[in-house]
Amino acid sequence: MRAPLSRILRDRVHAGVVLSTVALVVFGGVMVWAATVTMSGHAALVQRQLLGVGIGVIALVLMWVLDYQVLKAWTGPLMVALSLLIISPRIPGLGASVSGATSWLQIGSIRLFQPSEPAKLLFIVVMAAIIAEYGGKLDKTPDILKVVGLASVPLMLILLQPDLGTGMVFVAIASGMLLVGGMRARWFAVFAVAGIVLVLAVFALNSVLVTSMNKPDGVLIKAYQVDRLLVFVDPTRDPKGAGYNLQQSKIAIGSGGLTGAGLGMGSQSRLNFIPERHTDFIFSVLGEQLGFAGAVMLLALYLALMASALSVSASSRDLFGALVAAGLISMWAFQILENMGMTIGMMPITGIPLPFMSYGSSFMVTNLAGVGMLLSIWSRRYGTTTT
Amino acid sequence: MTTFRQLLKGRFAVLGVVVLVALGSLTARLWGMQVLSGSTFAAAAEGNRIREVSLPAARGRILDVKGRPLVTNRPVMAVTAPATISQDTTLVAHLASVIGVPVDEITKRLASYKAERLAPRVLKLDVPMQTAAYLAEHSADFPGVAVEESAVRVYPGGSLAAHVLGYTGEISETQLASGALPDAKIGDIVGKSGVEASYDKVLQGEKGFRRFEVDNQGRVRSVLDEGAPRAGKDIKLTIDRDVQKVTEKALADAIAEAHRQGFTKAKGGAAVVLDVKTGAVVAMASAPTYDPSIFLGGIKQATWDALNAKSSEYPLNDRVIQAAYPPASTFKAVVAMAGLQTGLLTPSTTFNCPGFWTGLGRQWGKWCWLHSGHGHLSLIGAIEQSCDGYFYNVGKRFYQAQGEKLQAFARTLGLGSKLGIDLAGEVPGRVPDAAWKKAYNQNYPEYQQWLPGDTVNMSIGQGDLLVTPLQLASAYAALGNGGIVVRPHVLDAVLAPDGTASVESSVSVVSNAHLTPANLATLRHALVGVTTVGTGRGSFVGFPISVAGKTGTAQVAGKDDYALFACYAPASAPRYAIVVIVEQGGHGGSVAAPAARQIMAKLFGKKYKTIHTTDVSR
Repeated sequence: MRAPLSRILRDRVHAGVVLSTVALVVFGGVMVWAATVTMSGHAALVQRQLLGVGIGVIALVLMWVLDYQVLKAWTGPLMVALSLLIISPRIPGLGASVSGATSWLQIGSIRLFQPSEPAKLLFIVVMAAIIAEYGGKLDKTPDILKVVGLASVPLMLILLQPDLGTGMVFVAIASGMLLVGGMRARWFAVFAVAGIVLVLAVFALNSVLVTSMNKPDGVLIKAYQVDRLLVFVDPTRDPKGAGYNLQQSKIAIGSGGLTGAGLGMGSQSRLNFIPERHTDFIFSVLGEQLGFAGAVMLLALYLALMASALSVSASSRDLFGALVAAGLISMWAFQILENMGMTIGMMPITGIPLPFMSYGSSFMVTNLAGVGMLLSIWSRRYGTTTT
Repeated sequence: MTTFRQLLKGRFAVLGVVVLVALGSLTARLWGMQVLSGSTFAAAAEGNRIREVSLPAARGRILDVKGRPLVTNRPVMAVTAPATISQDTTLVAHLASVIGVPVDEITKRLASYKAERLAPRVLKLDVPMQTAAYLAEHSADFPGVAVEESAVRVYPGGSLAAHVLGYTGEISETQLASGALPDAKIGDIVGKSGVEASYDKVLQGEKGFRRFEVDNQGRVRSVLDEGAPRAGKDIKLTIDRDVQKVTEKALADAIAEAHRQGFTKAKGGAAVVLDVKTGAVVAMASAPTYDPSIFLGGIKQATWDALNAKSSEYPLNDRVIQAAYPPASTFKAVVAMAGLQTGLLTPSTTFNCPGFWTGLGRQWGKWCWLHSGHGHLSLIGAIEQSCDGYFYNVGKRFYQAQGEKLQAFARTLGLGSKLGIDLAGEVPGRVPDAAWKKAYNQNYPEYQQWLPGDTVNMSIGQGDLLVTPLQLASAYAALGNGGIVVRPHVLDAVLAPDGTASVESSVSVVSNAHLTPANLATLRHALVGVTTVGTGRGSFVGFPISVAGKTGTAQVAGKDDYALFACYAPASAPRYAIVVIVEQGGHGGSVAAPAARQIMAKLFGKKYKTIHTTDVSR
């Protein structure tokens, strides 16, 4: 017996999630168009991005249809899959490294995708499965150490790639999920201190190794990553190098004023002053072309998406679903804060793209698949439904 | 199932607050940047994309008094490139071989100045058409390198009138700092000497500008705005090209004649022709000279060093205005007129010259150049024969009369201070007096007092007296012009684009000695006697124009004698005053005077044949 369509829609479609996602994807498409309008490969870039959206919509529907609870039973294999995914660019015959930072999975000469993107979703699922075991009461020291220890495995693997950006996203995801999973504030403090000590130790060791091994490009951390951090601390440092990008990005955003120069306009975008302007620095283009009004519109859409995700999380039938939704919120919130923050000098520069906005198919597919997971959780909030 | 929801409620609130704080802080920061300081960033964005370069204006031409060109311009192809190409060593090496300029030189030119990063530097000024075409065809191999139309100075007469015209060059740091050229920018071509410098503002014109939109690599994307340059104005000089040519030749011939007479150290000299009534400089020659075209596109360091070496005799100096000489016997005309005007002399004042003058006592005795003595001479005879003994007596009279009347008269004739010619670098010369001597010898008390011998030495144009050739010519012009000293000048007119005069020079009186007609006639009589029966006779035999002149042979410590001749002509209605000086040239009558005749022959359209005379007078 078929339920009426309106009933199906009410049960399965979270209007906030769907509408904010549609608006963000459209907005992102427009911005990729506007950012690349004076580039030589303009049409091809826009087409590729639309292809990414197409694949992403398929992924979204698949995740929506898939009962997310099935994933919970596959924790072990998924953990293995996640680890393989992270190290796949290092497997001979499969990996490819572009400009030393972005790792691709490729077969022959066909580039498939960036494994670090789906790895974020897999990480969320694996973490949710692990944390859900404790029923929302994560206050025993052995439990916490076990959970954090398991989380550290993929984190260490990604940091060894080295992929500092994705590593930071992992940390943000884990933090959000541990919060919802019940870890107490003092434990966050403990791990924060431990993290800072560890980072400082790595930096110190790196600088010792750089001088002793005479490898100016960096040993544990790349030299450009150190530069980016130093520029964040002192923007006047090296204005032609790492500081130059930040300076030009700030000029672009600031010059946008209240309403911006108009779509496709703006000298900073048109004349190549903004680096990586369709990928990592697409918000600089948005800021210049659409001004404060455009930026606030984008922030409002993100807020709508995350508020909807929170409502999905709160209405999940089980803790696992709630944790997955919380992981997605953490992932998006951190990437938004980090990406927009770096373009205005609030955060250090890392290679983290802006969800739904930045050019890149792997990234778009991952985000849309994440939305699919939200809808899957929402659809099954009353129990497994049948069609 | 229900318990976990209870547990999660507060945690969702925390997560929500974290998200709100993140988005809120982004919003606050964006408000500050975009709304509060938007205009600052907008200005920075404009500064990023807009570059301005100035467009040089065509420099005005310099014409002679009859409108014939002395300096013009020639369009050339210039190879330029922005400083940024210096990083591309392969490109620079390739370019060096194509335009034939060493890599070092290119690197030096690219690095020449820090400001105006985008302003193209001229790497080579005058490339042949084939090179320009090659660069245009292979422009993809030479990013940033451009072939631009430019213009260089052309000197149709070669080194003719080089000292009057001067040369041009890239503006120096000191010129920029001086503020004399407020619109000037680094890299501008400006006049460095001569008329090019003194009338630079007129010749320079007004620069245009071009504003570009550039990308992050500094590549030009479009031209936003352009203001056409306004060409500089042509100027017409008082110099007559033909007379100038003859004057330079006469000076060169005089130096050659000095060598022929055994004065082989003669190398430098000066000759100048003034219009008696107006002060217009008809010709002005200085030896040795130079070719101003060596400065085009930047002078080579070795050439510059050679021009400034001691052995070069400093060809860049304009000796007519920048060198001061003892006037020697040519000054006797001034002394005679001073005596007549002050009443210390009359035409009939007579002295006896025994050859050795003891007017200040035997221990201070002085020789006349004619050691056998001239015997009894009147004023006119003394000038004709250039008798030193006679003028020692006149000097003694001036000393006894007190009041430094000789110095005062010399100053009224324009000596001892700059005449204010419209050329840079004029020196004032020196008319010594008691105050000067005291100040000059301030560290040597025993030499501070003005002695009778000082006035006596001065009365034969020696001692500490120094005049520029221009001052001497101007003084002779005044002696032929009732005592009126007019300011010498080289500018005749500034021309409007249609060729009519927009500014014309006017006669400017420096001073007036108010010479009486009787005294003028007496001196004229004496000076004409010099060229007819006196020490200058040999040089003017058969010359159809009556010349009032005076020979001079200056003694300079450690050097051979300097040969001088000063005159005005025609004697009855003076039009020109001429001075010729040959350093270490020997005798004025046989070296300098023939040169003056050679110049006058041209001025009055008479034939001239080389004259060799012998003369040992002073």
